[in-house]
Amino acid sequence: MIRNGMIALTSLVLLTGAVACKPKPKTAAAPVIQSVEPTPTEIAPPPTPTIEEDEQAWMNEELARVTAEANARGLLGDIFFDFDRFELSADARERLAKNARFMMDAPQFVLTIEGHCDERGTNDYNLALGERRASAARDYLVSLGVSANRLRTISYGEERPFCNGSTESCWSQNRRGHFMVSSRTTDG
Amino acid sequence: MTRIPSSIARFSFAVRPSVVRLALAGILFIPTLAWSQVPQPQADVAEDLPGNSDVTAVIDGGGMAQLRLAFPSITVRTGTAADATAAIGAFETALREDLEASGVFEIQGPEDLAVLALTGVQATDFELYRSLTNQSVLVAEAYQEEDKFVVEGRLYDLASQQSILGKRYRGTFDLSRRVAHTFSDEIILYFTGARGIALTSIAFNSDRTGHKEIYLMDYDGENIRPLTGHNSISMSPAWAPTGDNIAYVSFFAGAPGIYRVDLATGAKQPIVTDGNLNSSPDFSADGRKIAFTRSIDGNTEIFVADRDGSNLRQVTRSAGIDTNPAFSPNGTKLAFTSSRAGNPHIYIMDVEGTNLQRVTFEGTYNDGADWSPDGTRIVYATRRGNAFDIAVTDLALLDTKVLTTGMPGSHESPTWSPDGRRIAFSTTANSKSQIRVMTLDTGEVKTLASEGNNMSPDWSPYPPR
Repeated sequence: MIRNGMIALTSLVLLTGAVACKPKPKTAAAPVIQSVEPTPTEIAPPPTPTIEEDEQAWMNEELARVTAEANARGLLGDIFFDFDRFELSADARERLAKNARFMMDAPQFVLTIEGHCDERGTNDYNLALGERRASAARDYLVSLGVSANRLRTISYGEERPFCNGSTESCWSQNRRGHFMVSSRTTDG
Repeated sequence: MTRIPSSIARFSFAVRPSVVRLALAGILFIPTLAWSQVPQPQADVAEDLPGNSDVTAVIDGGGMAQLRLAFPSITVRTGTAADATAAIGAFETALREDLEASGVFEIQGPEDLAVLALTGVQATDFELYRSLTNQSVLVAEAYQEEDKFVVEGRLYDLASQQSILGKRYRGTFDLSRRVAHTFSDEIILYFTGARGIALTSIAFNSDRTGHKEIYLMDYDGENIRPLTGHNSISMSPAWAPTGDNIAYVSFFAGAPGIYRVDLATGAKQPIVTDGNLNSSPDFSADGRKIAFTRSIDGNTEIFVADRDGSNLRQVTRSAGIDTNPAFSPNGTKLAFTSSRAGNPHIYIMDVEGTNLQRVTFEGTYNDGADWSPDGTRIVYATRRGNAFDIAVTDLALLDTKVLTTGMPGSHESPTWSPDGRRIAFSTTANSKSQIRVMTLDTGEVKTLASEGNNMSPDWSPYPPR
């Protein structure tokens, strides 16, 4: 009531004012009208993807036991890298020769090579670096006679550290190639 | 604290002719704009209040000059209920925070102004505000209208005592911070010629649930909400310039792949997920292309595809690591990181892969470039011993300034605010990673999200108006 009256009055006033003040906006300094644009505040998390099961499959107990038994015999051990490097050291090549022997002796298994990095460096760059580390290990295994189609690689960058801490001792453990028997060959 | 030249300083502070030109008293009432497509939360009304633009210059922009603004307490009309009063209080708090955080003003609030014996007579009181060297005053009155609160705010130039900007906002009580952000952005626009960023958001990843997921928060760290729940590793969020979806990297299917989340519906869809590794997405400014890192038989190269992941084109071919592409604001160039010269450095090339130019030469590890909105500078992480600093390089002069000198911790993943006046980044100190925002004009740094480890911020574009 009062407000409506006021609106009418102010509209009139506006009209008069607009006529009186001919120059109209030349710049975008003060827009005529704004509205607060709403954005959704709640976004439902998606259902857990079923593909998660594949990751679990890698962990399946039997294959994990194969890896553990190999580790106990000094096989399928981790290899380590210098900071920001993916070249294989003499130690790494020695380890890889043992890992190759395991793979030659056990043709029924597929091996996944994980590339890892320490926390220094950026997350994005470390994903790429981990990829290079894993593939350097793979390429060397292939050069020793392991069939490439029995080898998988994945880079975790710095996302899955073996050791949590900001010391050189931790970092050196985290700059690694890690080996896991991940499945059986279909023909093995 | 290192300071880089203020974008504000380059802008003349002379007050320009404004829309708010109505010299006569009265309220202009404009109907609500339709926001029919987004029903929640409820839309607000904003109106221009009458003002007068015939005002002399306020500040001659130069150096670190800040506008000296008096902002006395908001007057709440009698008859306003407790919940409306609380909403108005939240509005006032947020508005003060926004204006303070903008770096544009030196504000005198109620405590500073308490020394004045105000009379209630506007002309006299304005002279009193001015006696404390203030140049402008923000006067606001608020009241309740049914289930909403209404705020009328007016800015006056104290030399001429004339109103230079007037706005009225109405909204439900839950929108108090949003209304404050909207008003703050208008005030910043008026004084600087560039929109404020109080309505923008920052995407980031956080491990607060035990898994790295993608989250969104308002520019001030409030209103944190999850975008993913993959229970895997999800990282590297990248805003589409349209502001309605975000690309990110996730391991939930095994190999790291690039996905997109629609912000209105929460729906996810794959963009590039085949192959061994796809990472580091970045959209072109027109939203039509996406650049990313892709592994070719173990070596990572930069690719460009259409926004849906089709029409893949490889644009780098080097034996080194190539990663972390970022489109220039005009869409013609890509900055990226390459180890082709032995160590990671930042290079720029045309989107087709031609005209390669190396742009960082200092240090042994530079990565994660983000372009300033005007395309003249890049910000990135540069290694210092076992930690990283944030550095800015002017692309014309190849002149570099480190922004985080003396700040404890390791700093990475810088992202520019859409007005170019702030940089968000993550700092890792004492085994905890947090997101911080630096205001470039003042060097002031604020820590935002605090629960869990929070990293990899990406600042949104301006929301549509």
